[in-house]
Amino acid sequence: MKKYRWMSGLMLGAMVLAACGGDTDDTAADEDGAADGSDEEEEAAIEEDDNTLVIGTGTDMVTFDIHDHNATNTEAIHVNMFNYLVRRDGDDGFEGDLAESFENVDDTTWHFTLHEGVTFHNGDELTAEDVKYTFDRVASDDTLMEHSNYRQIQEVNVLGDYEFEIITDGPEPALLNRISRIGSGILPADYIEEEGWDHFLSNPVGTGPFQFAEWNRDESIVLERYDDYFGGDVTEWEEVVFRVIPETSTRVNELLTGGVHIAENVPPAEWDRVNDNDGTSIISGPSNRVMLLILNQAEEYATSDKRVRQAIDLAIDNEAITEHLLGGEGTPVQSRVTPGNTGAHPDLFDSYNHDPDQARELLEEAGYGDGLEITFNSPQGRYMMDSEVAELIRGMLSEVGITANLEFLEWSNFADMHANNNNEEMYFLGLGNSMFDAALGMDTFSAQGTARTGYVNDELDELLQAAAVNMDAEEREQQYHQAQEIVAEDLPYVFLYQAESMAGVSDSINYEIAFDETIYVENIEKN
Amino acid sequence: MKRYLIRRVLQVIPVLLIISFIVFSLVFLAGNPVALMLPEDASQEQIAALTESMGLNEPFYVQYGIFLGNAIQGDFGTSYRYNQDAMSIVLERLPQTFELAAVSMLFATIIAIPLGIWSAAKQNTVIDVFATGASVLGKAMPNFWLGIMLILLFSVNLSIFPVSGRGSFMHIILPAITLGTAIAAEMTRLIRSNMIEVMQQDYVRTAKSKGQKDSIVTYRHAFKNCLIPVVTIMALQTSSLIGGALVTEVVFAWPGMGQLLVQAVNARDMAIVQACVFVIAVAVILMNLLADIVYRLIDPRIKYD
Repeated sequence: MKKYRWMSGLMLGAMVLAACGGDTDDTAADEDGAADGSDEEEEAAIEEDDNTLVIGTGTDMVTFDIHDHNATNTEAIHVNMFNYLVRRDGDDGFEGDLAESFENVDDTTWHFTLHEGVTFHNGDELTAEDVKYTFDRVASDDTLMEHSNYRQIQEVNVLGDYEFEIITDGPEPALLNRISRIGSGILPADYIEEEGWDHFLSNPVGTGPFQFAEWNRDESIVLERYDDYFGGDVTEWEEVVFRVIPETSTRVNELLTGGVHIAENVPPAEWDRVNDNDGTSIISGPSNRVMLLILNQAEEYATSDKRVRQAIDLAIDNEAITEHLLGGEGTPVQSRVTPGNTGAHPDLFDSYNHDPDQARELLEEAGYGDGLEITFNSPQGRYMMDSEVAELIRGMLSEVGITANLEFLEWSNFADMHANNNNEEMYFLGLGNSMFDAALGMDTFSAQGTARTGYVNDELDELLQAAAVNMDAEEREQQYHQAQEIVAEDLPYVFLYQAESMAGVSDSINYEIAFDETIYVENIEKN
Repeated sequence: MKRYLIRRVLQVIPVLLIISFIVFSLVFLAGNPVALMLPEDASQEQIAALTESMGLNEPFYVQYGIFLGNAIQGDFGTSYRYNQDAMSIVLERLPQTFELAAVSMLFATIIAIPLGIWSAAKQNTVIDVFATGASVLGKAMPNFWLGIMLILLFSVNLSIFPVSGRGSFMHIILPAITLGTAIAAEMTRLIRSNMIEVMQQDYVRTAKSKGQKDSIVTYRHAFKNCLIPVVTIMALQTSSLIGGALVTEVVFAWPGMGQLLVQAVNARDMAIVQACVFVIAVAVILMNLLADIVYRLIDPRIKYD
């Protein structure tokens, strides 16, 4: 009996172990057992099979609902599965993608002709009805995240299988920008109507060069080449895997050991490790994000005085930031609209004002000859070297007699402050432009959009209102140029530099970072 | 025993209610997630519209009431990031987390039991000093640091294990060692000190004086009697592994609940945070219950009724 108890004690100890692992241990064993063969083979295949491209990203994509997200990294995957009607051609023009041709008929009408013989991954042929279905959905459902960027589309008139018109609710000069960005992919109407939206979300179907294979959340998304792609044989890769690796050092380690071909968003601390390793290097490319200081012009703040704002601008040596701190990874700017966006002002790019003596004079004139104290908020860890840049700016300001009390905020608190306009004199931020059009960058300076800064300029307002509905592209561009000159003079924001995107890349491939931060796998070649 | 079990299960209800209130309050105090959901260039109208459509402009008690009403029906809301039922997302990750917790615990136990007993039996010898030193070191090393070091050594330099991810058995080894090390250290210390205490008890002396072999005295008489605190610590550690492998899962890109929770907290995805905390709370309660049952089975003197 005693022996029996002893044994039962040990067995129970073992049970505790089993409970701790418990059924899970079995599950693990089962899963491993089942997975061992296939997954190990798959792993080996990924490493050895040079027809599989592996990309390491920091966060998982959020959904296959192309209209219900605003994440660039999600769009970066979608663009390989879905085609837009038109694509930006790299400068500020557009080229047809699914559309064979397109033209602006009148102020509110755009005519499109689709390529014939385009098929979705399930074999259905693309017709104008699919376009109508897609835009009707996003333009009418106000619960979708992208609704506000498409609601200007009043209706899509189907003229034939491959012909249709997009009618806007007023003059919409930026229509092509609107339909060549997040949520602009074309959905398969019949497939979704027959199978239901939930089925589509787990088995998405598009027209792109890659088709969906599997998605293991927070782990990986696998796409396979679609051999009947209407664009023909555009890629050498048979498969592309987007692996989710949140920790930067792990992502870099995967690159160094050949686990991924591309490690996205590599911070400066890791650059040497990647460059010193045989077979990998760091690459950079201009992003559409401009780093800037937002100045509050409410009466109680000294920054309501234009001379103080100008003094801040003159005190900051933009090139010292980009060259010495960022190692050349950035370009000084005087506007939020950079080349690659419709309406960019060439003179305000790669240029800046720096004159500490004049800054001191302006402060003296404004009555701050004895010094000025302001609050300066900055995020930490959100943008590349953000806290170091903020420290340097504080130093530059102190040189001219401005004491900036630098307060770093954790991102969620910072985002709160930004969204609710709880800012004091000055804060540091990076702003993108998902519309690739001057309108998005400039509308924040109109009378309706300045709750944050309190900045009002009637002349600017008129220009912005006129440009927003001007269908004459050249005249519209001039209006935006003028508007940017006014803003560069008045300085509701002090513009610092255009940020660069950085990635670690294996030398076995040829990859360039795209301006819009998407990843067109068809543009990535083997070396 | 049966009545005890029923009572324990019923106690779970108020505990979960209190936990839900605390978590909801904390997430509420952390602020409005709308600012994080929209890009930096979002307009004031977009912010206002989204706040209203998510019901975030309602007062605290209304929001909590709605949450509680739904949670009782098993609905923890929809994750705004994934636009999907939060609980189903959390449950999707649970097997991966269990898998890692099980292997980590196995690793810790395999190391700790022999090492703890051995160092107690050979008190003040080189072995004991080694075991004690190793435990202090194991407990002192932060998880994320150990994880990164293991990757650098075994994956980058020696190319033995894959850096990160999940799939083959090789993938689980490094994260399991990372998580298991601190647990093994704690268990070794506990087993050692309990064993030393038990070895001085009268019945051990009696057994020894009867001429029993050392190994029988150690394993049959002494070890069995130091199991109760070991079971306690194992239960606690297992529940913390289920809920607390946060950093390790992130470092190894392990697609479990820890990684999900870290991201949800960063993005203030309240539905996911609530569902995760609920699952973790249930795990802690179940593990404690299991430990109580095991006490009874190990030591028949313990009675609950």
